[in-house]
Amino acid sequence: MRTYRITTTGEGMVALALIFAMGGAAAAQWLSLPLPGTARTADGKPNLNAPVPRAADGEPDLSGIWNAPNYDFVQHLPPVGTEPPMLPAAAALYKHRVETLGYDVPMTYCMPHGVPDAMFVAAHPFKIIQTPGVTILLFEEFHKYRQVFTDGRKLPVDPDPAWYGYSVGHWEAETFVVETAGFKEGSWLDNRGHPHTDALRTTERFHRTNFGTLELSVTIDDPKAYSQPWTSRNIGLVLRPDTELLEHLCENNRDLERLREAPKITGRQ
Amino acid sequence: MRTRFVIAVMCVTSLVASGRALAHHSFAAEFDENKSVKVSGTVTKVEWTNPHIWFFIDVKNPDGSVANWGFEMASPSQLLRQGWKRDTMKVGDQVTVEAKGARDGSNHANAQNVTLTSTGQRLFGGPPPGQQ
Repeated sequence: MRTYRITTTGEGMVALALIFAMGGAAAAQWLSLPLPGTARTADGKPNLNAPVPRAADGEPDLSGIWNAPNYDFVQHLPPVGTEPPMLPAAAALYKHRVETLGYDVPMTYCMPHGVPDAMFVAAHPFKIIQTPGVTILLFEEFHKYRQVFTDGRKLPVDPDPAWYGYSVGHWEAETFVVETAGFKEGSWLDNRGHPHTDALRTTERFHRTNFGTLELSVTIDDPKAYSQPWTSRNIGLVLRPDTELLEHLCENNRDLERLREAPKITGRQ
Repeated sequence: MRTRFVIAVMCVTSLVASGRALAHHSFAAEFDENKSVKVSGTVTKVEWTNPHIWFFIDVKNPDGSVANWGFEMASPSQLLRQGWKRDTMKVGDQVTVEAKGARDGSNHANAQNVTLTSTGQRLFGGPPPGQQ
């Protein structure tokens, strides 16, 4: 049996109780461990309905490990039952991706999800670390990160195109607004295959509504792929308390060969 | 404290029970949700690796020949969150696997349930609520 700390405070006793409840094997990993920042009910359980925590500057603190509750958001970014107004080239590319069952989605080649769908991969949570000047997103999937600068800088002019683009953020009342530009082509907007070009600009709006809930929507503005900007479905992420991200890499990609042959096998070229 | 002495029958449902819930690649392009596979055999190899865990078993055919099957599961992080450990399934263990077969007709499949026979205790029944 290992313990992390022994104190006489209430928090420490809660921590010990949780460790004993979990048993030694579980406590030996960072899969499940009591963390001091977790809001708790009187019985020591995480209180996901607790008020939104505040950063030192008084703004809502978005820090925490967040997870999509299911695969709906990563599968289809637009509002349910709708398709965004694709221009002909984008529509043709999208049609091809749907018809070939997404066999060549970037993840097949160990490239990560992009903006915004890296946040919606239900199998792999991500962590927000909000600090003065920069908010960091750590993605478990493929061990990737994004930086959202909040130090007042502007988006770069003529940036070198990047998979995740360049992001700056500011607060509008309780909403954290993140603007991103400078993308390169390559990522898909969702697993279904909605495309984007290097003209893409995104505006993400994050609103933490209580300790355990992060709501957001994303506006897609890509005049080379869509005839007008459109906004995603409303997305709700849930907090995973008292845990840490675990390593996920691409060290043993046995699927690649079969997926390369997929169109031949499925008959969908 | 290891629990290997008390594990007998272990029924583990992988994250990908819905068949489409793979994070790393398109499920539908590689596996056929309508092609159910159920085989029993002896574990010959376990690759506790990212982006997917793979394990292999020798399956005895009715004619006495032996075929080696390979099964994909989720990532270590996903299975750890469901209670698996890297030594839950070991070389030499007898297992029964329910899976969805590869579209290319090879002896590969995506494992949905693994039943490992040791002492009779049902250790895992599926993912914890809210985890998928």
